[in-house]
Amino acid sequence: MTKTILTVDDSPSMRMLLRSALTERGYDVAEAEDGVAALEWLDSNAPNLVITDINMPRMDGFGLIEQLRARSRFRDMPILVLTTESSDEKKARARQAGATGWIVKPFDPEKLASAIRRVSH
Amino acid sequence: MIGAPEAASAARRVNVLQGTTFVTDDPGIVLTTILGSCIACCLHDPRARVGGMNHFLLSEPRHGRIGLDGEAERYGVYAMELLINEMLKKGASRSTMRAHLYGGANLHAGMHAIGTENSRFARAFLAKDGIALSQANVGGDTPRRVEFRAARGQVRCRVVGSDAPIDETKATSAPRSSGDVELF
Repeated sequence: MTKTILTVDDSPSMRMLLRSALTERGYDVAEAEDGVAALEWLDSNAPNLVITDINMPRMDGFGLIEQLRARSRFRDMPILVLTTESSDEKKARARQAGATGWIVKPFDPEKLASAIRRVSH
Repeated sequence: MIGAPEAASAARRVNVLQGTTFVTDDPGIVLTTILGSCIACCLHDPRARVGGMNHFLLSEPRHGRIGLDGEAERYGVYAMELLINEMLKKGASRSTMRAHLYGGANLHAGMHAIGTENSRFARAFLAKDGIALSQANVGGDTPRRVEFRAARGQVRCRVVGSDAPIDETKATSAPRSSGDVELF
């Protein structure tokens, strides 16, 4: 069964790149432009995994992760952070919020795919 | 500050090297760079009074296919996103940012038009991200020197001799931490 990944990023270009990399590897891809749009989509959908940026308008990646972990149906869903940020402080904050992993942009499609396979159940 | 721009002098000139990005709200700082086939995108937000510059270069295309192996998008997207993110952190917004593009020359006749591809990529990125392009001085076959008083949005771009010292090798690889994965 095809797995669905929700990508959350305010950059249309980045979402396009992610879509390209993920669909080539057999995933279905949904997109949201920020945390608010992601939560709206997640109200009626259940992806297998979420990839989210950190710096976004309206609701950032930290807020999105916290919101998802507060909902029982998303408590165990893998959430990967994909960001230009690399500070230990922000990484620790993401971990505390409930992120599954941290990937620094620019992403390597193969490394991203490998990370997805490792965290997918 | 992102990357490792090199302080050029006590006059608060900052040289934005290939693969680096610099954003500031200090009106006394002038960002400078020399471009061949690379692109420098200068962003300025007059409302937030902040500006910044990146400087990116494509890797050598594999198998002669420019932009089809993901390298252009990877490095260009990274540089553009880094610049935009740093602008947003300092209070700018996409709707009020104005962009200038410089560089994108094709310095070597008979070789792949990397400069043209860089320019195309940068224009497309700005369009997709909804950032207005107010000026572009790109193309041709000669290097350019750009001076950008970022916080004020004042730019000067001039053509320099083809023997200008351009180091086009440093940024052919992504930053060291790029793509690193850490699972918690």
